[in-house]
Amino acid sequence: MTEGMPQKSSDALGAALLLAPALLVIAIAFLAPLARLAALSFSSPQGVLAAYRELLGDEVFWIVLRNTIGLAAIVTIITLTGGFALALALTRLGGGWRLALFAAVVLPLWVSVLVRTFSWMLLLERNGPINEAMVATGVIGQPVQLLFNFTGVTIAMVHVLLPYAVLPIYAALVKIDPALLKASEGLGASFATTFQRVLLPLSARGVATAAAFVFLLSLSFFVTPALLGGANNMTIPMLIDTFVNERLAWPLAGAASMLLLGLVLGCIAVIGRFVPLGGLAEAR
Amino acid sequence: MARAIGLKLFAALAAAIIVLPVIAVIPVAFSAHSYARLPPEAWSLRWWAAFFADPTWFAALIVSLEVAVLSAVACIVLGTSAALGMNRLPPVARKLLAGVFLGPIIAPAIVLAVGLYSLARSVGLVGSLLGLVIAHTMLAMPYAVLNIGVSLAALDPRLALAAAGLGADRWRIFRTITLPLILPGIAGGAVFAFVTSFDEVVLAIFLSGPQVKTLPVRIWEEIRVEYTPVVAVAATIMIVLAITGAALGRLLGRVRQEARA
Repeated sequence: MTEGMPQKSSDALGAALLLAPALLVIAIAFLAPLARLAALSFSSPQGVLAAYRELLGDEVFWIVLRNTIGLAAIVTIITLTGGFALALALTRLGGGWRLALFAAVVLPLWVSVLVRTFSWMLLLERNGPINEAMVATGVIGQPVQLLFNFTGVTIAMVHVLLPYAVLPIYAALVKIDPALLKASEGLGASFATTFQRVLLPLSARGVATAAAFVFLLSLSFFVTPALLGGANNMTIPMLIDTFVNERLAWPLAGAASMLLLGLVLGCIAVIGRFVPLGGLAEAR
Repeated sequence: MARAIGLKLFAALAAAIIVLPVIAVIPVAFSAHSYARLPPEAWSLRWWAAFFADPTWFAALIVSLEVAVLSAVACIVLGTSAALGMNRLPPVARKLLAGVFLGPIIAPAIVLAVGLYSLARSVGLVGSLLGLVIAHTMLAMPYAVLNIGVSLAALDPRLALAAAGLGADRWRIFRTITLPLILPGIAGGAVFAFVTSFDEVVLAIFLSGPQVKTLPVRIWEEIRVEYTPVVAVAATIMIVLAITGAALGRLLGRVRQEARA
């Protein structure tokens, strides 16, 4: 291979030149903004660490942090449950049906999260179709509040994040030898037993990858909680937005950004020990 | 038998629950009511007329298209160059760089948005086309690098060696062999970058100004206060363009598969 190829040093130079424009964009539009925020977080007139001290000493921050993690956790659990059922159905469906369901799962990924969130605003309204359907079928006596609270945010986020759960779980489930399932069934195991002793252990990596995707994406969600949540559902990304746009408190915005980034990187460090996260990019 | 029917029933129900909320806004765009309600009881095209009559809506659509096209072009030029460069690196360096390119995908959008806003403000790029294009290029380029990198990895290295043996220089090898063979990957990357930019809202909220704002930002501003079915028209345009992009991407993918078979 190396024989007849140009020397190594010119190869390295060529590689550097080819990579330079892309890395320049990463430097000015990714690294520089993060560095700028880090610098801002230490720029409080009250002292270098004053912004962090103010943030961490404020009860509001802890409530918002609890909201963010709680929402992400609940969204992850519901999305994984639904995602597993869908992935399992995908493995059992035949040709055309499988393709159709697969298309339905990935189609929403192409549509802006903003548009999908707006759709949910219309669907979840007090006089919207979901309330109407539930009243008509007698599930509820009268319309209930589904918007501007935890319920609305959760429903919309589960819907937006579902594909990120289905894809990795499906990838794990299709690799399971069908003979194992037949054997389990043949030996008289119920579906619950087969699920618990065969399906779940053999797809654990896919489920863990899905959980990681969904949880990490939930932590950073801004548009959906901001539009569908109420005053009691503020999350860290919304808090950062109010620091910038309402309070003009740049050191606090910088500190909150660094803490959110730290939270995400911390999760990646922990999760990365168990599942490969390179797939994060391919999931979209 | 009953199980198979149950499975299909589940699949149909699941597909409906996933897809219907995505397209629910479309009927509202054809509503005759003065407010957005679902389902509409009377139909008209008045909100389409309103959309195209309002210069701020139409201008936002144009800005969105401009930013998306420019970002897609920047992404494939820089992405192809970067993928070629990575291909020449030893595996360790390649892995390290792949990690760097993962950054914009992992970092929370709000953090990038606020950081970019702070930087752009100090150099006067808030509310400019250039600021939006740079931000969206950063966001979508990693996918382009990955996409094109996959195409490059599938390339038979003997082709380039054979051409070199026949006396072709590097540029000629790239132009006549590498480029045509990775073209489907580049096209896929372009479609993806276009849709990523066209759909993006968080960075755009912070980088838009009163004069230059993208369609999602215009929608965002509208639905935070009171809105009319004209928002549904804008949303419908976004859905149609994004799905067209997806279909185009799939078509290109099929061309790629056939080219290989």
